[in-house]
Amino acid sequence: MIKVQQLTKRFAGCVAVDGVSFEVARGEIVGFLGPNGAGKTTTMRILAGYLPATGGSASIAGYDVFHDSIEVRRRIGYLPENVPLYPEMRVDEYLHFRARLKGVHGRNRRKRVDEVKGMCGLGEVGRRIIGQLSKGYRQRVGLAESLVHDPELLILDEPTIGLDPNQIRQVRELIKDLSQRHTVLLSTHILPEVEMTCRRVVIIHRGKVVASDTPENLKRLREGGSDVVAEIRGPAEDVRAKLAALPGVTGVAVTEAAGWCRAVVACEQEAALRPLLFDAVARAGWGLRELRAERKSLEDIFVSLTHADPEGRGA
Amino acid sequence: MRAFLTLWRRELEAYFLSPIAYVMTIFFLVIMGFSFWMLVSVMAQGPAGVTVMKELFGSFFFWIAMLIVVPVLTMRLFAEEKRSGTIESLMTAPVTDTAVVLAKYAGAFGFFIVMWLPTIAYAYILKAFSPLSAPVDLGPMAGGYLGAFLLGSFYISVGLFASSLTNNQIVAAITSFAIICMAFFGGFLTFFARSEGLRSVAAYFSSVSHMLDFSRGAVDTRPIVLCISATALMLFATVKVIESRKWK
Repeated sequence: MIKVQQLTKRFAGCVAVDGVSFEVARGEIVGFLGPNGAGKTTTMRILAGYLPATGGSASIAGYDVFHDSIEVRRRIGYLPENVPLYPEMRVDEYLHFRARLKGVHGRNRRKRVDEVKGMCGLGEVGRRIIGQLSKGYRQRVGLAESLVHDPELLILDEPTIGLDPNQIRQVRELIKDLSQRHTVLLSTHILPEVEMTCRRVVIIHRGKVVASDTPENLKRLREGGSDVVAEIRGPAEDVRAKLAALPGVTGVAVTEAAGWCRAVVACEQEAALRPLLFDAVARAGWGLRELRAERKSLEDIFVSLTHADPEGRGA
Repeated sequence: MRAFLTLWRRELEAYFLSPIAYVMTIFFLVIMGFSFWMLVSVMAQGPAGVTVMKELFGSFFFWIAMLIVVPVLTMRLFAEEKRSGTIESLMTAPVTDTAVVLAKYAGAFGFFIVMWLPTIAYAYILKAFSPLSAPVDLGPMAGGYLGAFLLGSFYISVGLFASSLTNNQIVAAITSFAIICMAFFGGFLTFFARSEGLRSVAAYFSSVSHMLDFSRGAVDTRPIVLCISATALMLFATVKVIESRKWK
């Protein structure tokens, strides 16, 4: 559906997107992650045909985004980051205007506008003036607008920014529903959201793709650094020595509070370590009240991939 | 074509939802009211002949209205879209840059015509209250309207161009006011310039003498061609400015 090859975008004095390549298959929901200024919005703008690329190519549904821009625009619904709307128009007026602009005409237009209003929870605000709506409603108007012509591909730039937790959940459900009929590329900062909605993530940092895989695979890749947390009643020094001697342990940190030692054990294979740790504690006759593996979240992976060091390279 | 009509309709509607448009319409009608008052006071002194319509279409008040109203009406067109970011959703809809520019021009021109509509009442007022059997000659009046719309079309295209250059409405208004003033006052060289050559060239560009001709009912094709081609040039330049985001 989307095919991006060596896409590069230079602005005066800086490279916003630097040789980005990725593909999105039909029906996928792909999360586009990256810190602020990583080049997400620029990439999305290029895909939507708003900006041209400096180098490389991008095509959507087989159409080049620069040369067949109009064909591409017919097939995508694009929600820009700041959700630009005409504040003086009413919600219905705006949706009908955008539907007409996108080539939805006649009876079909009324049907589509009613449908997207229903999907986005706008049923009651049709007569309201957009400028007087809350941020959450405006966000939903923008989303409804991007859906109104039933596009094959949705490009959503931070669709849940500025929404309250309930609305975020609604939008997330909506995006999940949409994925049955549409391909979705969405960017966001909220990582748990990506884990819940996206089948695949592309992490971009300083204009380059640093990872592209399913959230599960990304986590597995980084499993080498997983931790085991144990709370043990015993002398701190002995606990530290005993745990460090176990096979596969790469580091032990012990903190003591009210007679209990909280040990964070870094290891290669947490699943193999936990029974060994239990045996060791039992043999020493100490108490054990907690023993668990701390799974790396997508957030840890994101941080480790995009953490900027002073030399300007990803750490 | 359908996209153009959709955009045109929205541009025209946007004027009716904008307080600035109403304020400018009132300003315009008050100023043109002064013109009408001058016309009536000249006619009150007896039959005035065919040049009387210049009181309406060539007066000081007419020019004040044209020079101020058009930049204010057009300043919003692109500048506001750029400032609020709606240009992004506009330019990612399946419409060409040319359709957007033409629709904005046509929307502004449409509202300009709407602004002029109440002045048609002047002809009826004269007819109803004048003791003369035929107080207004429709020929010069139609010529006056034609001239006003032609010049208006050129000034609007200048305003649209200025608006496409910036995301600040005030800057857009001042830029278009400056360009329109250059075109307007440049025409005065035909009265002031020392060199005979410059005088005769300036005569071709003199908005003032063109309007005086039109309001006599003398419709010359040269100013018509001038206004239409100048409009086309400004619209072309505007399309290029909008396209220029793709050159960087």
